[in-house]
Amino acid sequence: MQALFDNFQVLFQGLALGSIYALVALGFVLIIRATNVVNFAQGDFAMLGAYAMVLFFTGLSWPYWLAFVASLGAMAVFGVLFNYGVYYPLRYRAFLPVLISTLGASIFLQNTVLAVFGPQPRPLDKVLNADGVTIGGVFLDSQYLVILAVTMLLVLFTYVFFEHTLLGKKLQATSQDKDMARLLGIPVALMISITFVYSAVLGGIAGVLVGPILFVSIGMGSTIALKAFAATIIGGFGDVTGAIVGGLLLGVIESLAAYHISVPYKDAYAFLALFLFLLVRPQGIFGEKVSEKA
Amino acid sequence: MALLELRNVSSFYGAVRALEGVSLHVEAGELVTLLGANGAGKSTTLKTISGLVPAASGDVLFEGKSIARSGPEAIARLGISHVPEGRRIFPGLTVRENILLGASNRRGVPRRQLEEEADRMFGIFPEIQPFAKALGWTLSGGQQQMLAVARGLMAKPKLLLLDEPSLGLAPLIVQNLFATIREIRTLGMTILLVEQNANMALSVADRGYVLETGHITVEGTPKELLGNEAVRAAYLGGH
Repeated sequence: MQALFDNFQVLFQGLALGSIYALVALGFVLIIRATNVVNFAQGDFAMLGAYAMVLFFTGLSWPYWLAFVASLGAMAVFGVLFNYGVYYPLRYRAFLPVLISTLGASIFLQNTVLAVFGPQPRPLDKVLNADGVTIGGVFLDSQYLVILAVTMLLVLFTYVFFEHTLLGKKLQATSQDKDMARLLGIPVALMISITFVYSAVLGGIAGVLVGPILFVSIGMGSTIALKAFAATIIGGFGDVTGAIVGGLLLGVIESLAAYHISVPYKDAYAFLALFLFLLVRPQGIFGEKVSEKA
Repeated sequence: MALLELRNVSSFYGAVRALEGVSLHVEAGELVTLLGANGAGKSTTLKTISGLVPAASGDVLFEGKSIARSGPEAIARLGISHVPEGRRIFPGLTVRENILLGASNRRGVPRRQLEEEADRMFGIFPEIQPFAKALGWTLSGGQQQMLAVARGLMAKPKLLLLDEPSLGLAPLIVQNLFATIREIRTLGMTILLVEQNANMALSVADRGYVLETGHITVEGTPKELLGNEAVRAAYLGGH
């Protein structure tokens, strides 16, 4: 009986960790769709969000909610700066120069934070003061519960925003055919800016939520981004639903494998899963075959 | 004053000079057609008007004001609607959403009014009404063309640019499409129509131009163009 409870607990933790991957993966996919660029600094959005929280909450001792809102505001501003500093000047260039630009931004951001905050990982408080609840022998950590709830809300919000508002439709139109969008009078540069802001805020939220679990460190973003990137491929490259499902699946696989097989190899399971997917179903869970794409 | 005037416009398509000193004008309420072979510069002319391709020299005047340095978004907001070659339907949006986005150049129009206007478009294009909720890529070529024109009309344009609407469509569908173009004309729409199907285009046009390797070579009424031996030989299958 205890073994079953333990499995549930591991599953629960996996879903929570997977939620973080899903949020970052969602940010990945939105930018891929809007700009055709894989943003190598996506994980650093999470890292920056977490450090903003360290600054406002731990450093300046602001109330938690105010520090949280301020961190998200900072991430929104950062999204605009990132667009105009990293993507926009290269928007007519091929895939590779932009990719290298985001890679450069990632290195720049990590070293800037290193210079300001130093190399020691920082702790971050949980959202709730409560430890958690025990339901039927399964302990549910409050931070994991918050992560799951917030992710669900964000996924729901993203769905309503993209599927049921005209602005969401314009963002989709921009990602599908930029020249046609411009001919219709859709301000494409603004749409791409909004995408970067949205993606940066999603990443920031992921960072603030995962901070109390992983510690806030310079390298936290890189680990999350690699997993999130694997999640986008497992889910179906460029597919929004796929990013979310892929992220959750990866979190669960990772946690269950760590529990049943070996903890030190925790980070390897995600890539093993990625490897198997690339062999068996390279288009991902929700992806169409490339040959079917018009 | 002409609604649209091109003065000695040259432009490049990549490194190739696609237009060389093109001058033409379209009066309010007119349907003007631009004829020519593949690669003559017909599409480039429309792209230069709508701002997708910048004019390298010369001037483009819309309602007397230069738009040669404006971007496509700004030109769309002035009331020029460009229905490009190949329809360019948003494949992942529904037919209704494609139509709604056609009004993106008009600011501050309430969603409810846009939905009503979309319903009216389905009145003009009953063929696509059954597919309102279908994704754009699922439509046939003819249906996509109807949708592209409907989307273009949602801009409430003062000038409609139609690029090769008959391309790749079955003859019966082409007949159908041109009947719709005539219908749109009766609404008072000004149209600049690019076509390879010269017979069809001249049957609806008030005036026409012939474009050859980036130059305007002939201008006239449909009657004059149909009577011109060189035009007949080159574009009307009179060989």
